[in-house]
Amino acid sequence: MAGPTQPRPANQHMRRNPPIAGEQEAIDKAREGDGRAFEILYAMHKRRVYSLCLRMLGNVAEAEDLTQEAFLQLYRKIGTFRGDSAFSTWLHRLAVNVVLMHLRRKGLPQVSLEETLEPSQEDGPRKDIGARDLTLSGSIDRVTLERAIENLPPGYRLVFVLHDVEGYEHNEIAEMLDCSIGNSKSQLHKARMKLRDLLRTGQRREQIA
Amino acid sequence: MIVMRVIEKTMTCAEFQDALPELFESQADLSGHEHLRNCENCAALVRDLEYIASQARLLLPIHDPSPAVWDNIQQALRQGKPEPPSAARK
Repeated sequence: MAGPTQPRPANQHMRRNPPIAGEQEAIDKAREGDGRAFEILYAMHKRRVYSLCLRMLGNVAEAEDLTQEAFLQLYRKIGTFRGDSAFSTWLHRLAVNVVLMHLRRKGLPQVSLEETLEPSQEDGPRKDIGARDLTLSGSIDRVTLERAIENLPPGYRLVFVLHDVEGYEHNEIAEMLDCSIGNSKSQLHKARMKLRDLLRTGQRREQIA
Repeated sequence: MIVMRVIEKTMTCAEFQDALPELFESQADLSGHEHLRNCENCAALVRDLEYIASQARLLLPIHDPSPAVWDNIQQALRQGKPEPPSAARK
């Protein structure tokens, strides 16, 4: 039984962002302003960027707006891509930054982001676990987990999506969210605890129904 | 080592759960933790948290944006909102 933060392979981002055939050629042409090449890049990466935005925001309209903004920023900035990392890793980091900027404009400025990441009393871990007859293992399908993530409080959802789904490390998340590494670790744990509550509550409802 | 085991065994559930974030981050194998040998509730909690994390890692991008997103991008590019890439590099 190892902890949930398993040692990630060094090529974690490569596992999630494998090289795509034809991508480099499209990048080179798009850098020169080739509209068709940019469309190819959009087709290659729209799903990943949109899914990232949707999971971080939990809102379809906002996710679409920010997907659009991310690709417009890509168009402006593709000339600055130096190839130090995989293109998809670079693009996804750009998309994360677009989402975070949006959240700050909406009223989650960097200072208060720490506050929003602070748990309310009811979200904190419970000391009385109870219901020992009910465990989750083997019982969650993808749709149920996606729905539970949508229902996480925004601060929890951000850290959970960035770490557990997208594979970012705590030091990277702390830098992105302008919070401490300890805060990132703490919020991740609370997010998992909250998810457990949400999933168990859903299971109980299904059993009653 | 023996002292650690005694400490682990005498942990309350609250103390164990307070220590959990760091235990997970230490990437230690928790199966041998003394508290878990004696506490089915905390063992179930650890199993569930591990399961949630492992399932999250398997989530793939499956959602596509509506066609309107690309239409809007094209329109913005036509209107010349963003600088062309070659100009941005200068």
